[in-house]
Amino acid sequence: MFLSFVEKTKLPVFVVVFLFFAGSEGIAEDRGDAFVVGSISDARTLLPIIASDSASQDVCSMIFNGLVKYDKNLDLVGDLAQSWEVKEGGLVLVFHLRRNVSWQDGRPFTAKDVEFTYRQLINPSVRTPYSGDFERIKTLEALDDYTIRVTYKELFAPALSSWGMFIIPKHILEKQDLNSSTFQRKPVGTGPYVFKKWKSQNYIELLSSNTYFEKVPFISRYITRVIPDESTMFLELETEGLDAAGISALQYKRQTDTDFFKKKYYKFRLPSFSYLYLGYNLERGLFKDRRVREALNYAVNKQELIDMVLLGYGSIANGPFVPQSWAYDAQFPPAAFNQAKARSLLNDAGWKDDNFDGILEKDAVSFEFSILTNQGNEERIKAAQIIQKRLKEVGVRVKIKVVEWSVFLTEIINKRDFDAVLLGWSLSRDPDNFDIWHSSKIKPGEFNFIGYRNKEVDELLVQARKTFDQEKRKNCYFKINKLIYRDQPCMFLYVADNLFVVHKRFRNIEPGPSGIWHNFIYWWVPNVEQKYRSKSAIVP
Amino acid sequence: MNKLLLVGIAIIGFLSAAAILAPFISPYEPSLIDSASLLMPPSYAHPLGTDGLGRDLLSRIIYGARISLGIGIIAVGISLCIGVIAGSVAGYFGGLADSIIMRSADIMLCFPTFFLILATVAVLEPSIINIMVIIGLTSWMGIARLIRSEILSLREREFIQAAKAIGASHYGIICRHLLPNALGPVFVNATLGIAGAILLESALSFLGLGVQPPVPSWGNILIESKATLGVAWWITLFPGLAIFVTILGFNFIAEGLRKHWGYNA
Repeated sequence: MFLSFVEKTKLPVFVVVFLFFAGSEGIAEDRGDAFVVGSISDARTLLPIIASDSASQDVCSMIFNGLVKYDKNLDLVGDLAQSWEVKEGGLVLVFHLRRNVSWQDGRPFTAKDVEFTYRQLINPSVRTPYSGDFERIKTLEALDDYTIRVTYKELFAPALSSWGMFIIPKHILEKQDLNSSTFQRKPVGTGPYVFKKWKSQNYIELLSSNTYFEKVPFISRYITRVIPDESTMFLELETEGLDAAGISALQYKRQTDTDFFKKKYYKFRLPSFSYLYLGYNLERGLFKDRRVREALNYAVNKQELIDMVLLGYGSIANGPFVPQSWAYDAQFPPAAFNQAKARSLLNDAGWKDDNFDGILEKDAVSFEFSILTNQGNEERIKAAQIIQKRLKEVGVRVKIKVVEWSVFLTEIINKRDFDAVLLGWSLSRDPDNFDIWHSSKIKPGEFNFIGYRNKEVDELLVQARKTFDQEKRKNCYFKINKLIYRDQPCMFLYVADNLFVVHKRFRNIEPGPSGIWHNFIYWWVPNVEQKYRSKSAIVP
Repeated sequence: MNKLLLVGIAIIGFLSAAAILAPFISPYEPSLIDSASLLMPPSYAHPLGTDGLGRDLLSRIIYGARISLGIGIIAVGISLCIGVIAGSVAGYFGGLADSIIMRSADIMLCFPTFFLILATVAVLEPSIINIMVIIGLTSWMGIARLIRSEILSLREREFIQAAKAIGASHYGIICRHLLPNALGPVFVNATLGIAGAILLESALSFLGLGVQPPVPSWGNILIESKATLGVAWWITLFPGLAIFVTILGFNFIAEGLRKHWGYNA
């Protein structure tokens, strides 16, 4: 999981709007052409165990493989691992690795690389945000070159899915400091595409790998272009400078129904794994009283936010899980919009408008706080203004501050210098969200920066991690959802749909619950429609 | 009086009146969010249309005039105060005072102003007051130089020697004899400065470092329009036009004043 700057990542497909498939039976798939995708921000690093942002992860996913991966239907299948065994009731995992895999520089891939990756993940001097899952491991042994035995300290339900972590090459990185390695800008993986060139803030170019173990991809080149602005991105789509890009709700609704767009692009509307929330700094007196937090929740109309900010493309969040997850409790109702109730709760908590200025006071202090959010995200700034208006109606004065993203992370989040933040969480496929809600995760740089502490939730989070039976584990998460929603450590707002377009010359796109990217190496373009034939004419 | 000056004064007078009378003439409350009228094109109910939150654009532009003109005038007021004092001290006394003041002005001029302001706003908080002060503090150098050079040439004239001869104080000489004769070009310069400051505020707001939402300023209305450029032309056009007309107005006044007084600066 990571803090999302803008929620536009490659995520599962659920609803597909006018999709047309060219029948490919009996036609030979042609090789060649390039796939050019737009990204709103540049990658930070291409060393996957360090990369915490979605832009970096998207590129890494084309170059690297994990031991397991999610298939079209969100089931875990082998990737670098051919098969695996679960032993001793789940405490031990034994992976049997593929034997025909080589690194892109020709060296064979073996169990030593897996072991090396694990050592780096738990090495405290390596700045990786993913150590948590791997610290649960008691021992990891390479039984031979193609067998790995992992023993856990205690039962750990996300164990198998955590091995979706990309494996890095031992023979290259062995003697390097990962935090400063040149590998970060010149990666070598086992995946379908080979790194070619990275021009900062401009583009990253990958070439298809001739040695990829599954098959050589049909599309010869995979290019990520950095276009840091939504409207410019859209203009690029209109000139067919991009083959795929995320678009805003407004663009989806009002600007893509033209003949041109219908002819050239598939439009996708996917539910996402991220939600927007207003997180309170629970250390501050203002938010200590649960009645106050409940009142604020009643005072804001979530459907209005969805209608105005997302133009309807989203759903109300009813807690820390998203509808796409199996841990989501579809029966659990979010609080209704009810300002009368909000006012009476605030009154109960001692907030009254004594001087009739429209703002509530308690002990001669007015109810005032600021909402911080990051720059460059129009949707959040809009949402903040609507929340501001609704809270004003119940007598709470809100100031909005928009801060640049890196300042936001280092000065505001890490130092916890805020009243309330408007932010999104991008969740992993496994519902384990220990890092966000457990009371031990409140140190600087950790994810529970709002300072949420609840013993019962702590215990349930730990219990859920130890439970392998999905039904029982689900029950834990249902309980966690109820407890967290009752406590209202943050106001859960909405889960926005992921909207994007893909050029129609690509064939064999197979949408499934996991999205459209799972079979990318099988996508192809008929010879006559191929656009990029010469080797150079793609990027400016 | 020449035509340019008249037209300029008419434009700025009109806009200032609108800004001052904003609560009385704007048809809606500028931050009134209305989910029923998102992105409506100009119509009878909303003469300039509405924005992405259903707010009336005309009202926001009228209120935006308060912010934009206010920032322009106050920022230039600050730079005028500093510039006039620094310039006249440097010009009149010369020597060490002159060196110190003018060298520090040179140092200030070495920084690219816009980036200096960007950095300062990023460190402090972006707020209306901060922006006024920062623009003021970073734009006094031109005025100081102008005043100094005027005073340098004036102080050798006979009437200054006469004033000295009858025992007038330094303060009296600067304020009563030098400044009134040196201020003409400064006013021309300051008028242009107001235009510059308004543009600067728009640019800052456009980058998200200026006036914070939901307070409307022309710059932040423009940035909000960027996302809706292909669907709602009016949100881009009208605030842009407002900035354009205002800058034009101030430039007319400056040009008109210069011609009126016969300077060739």
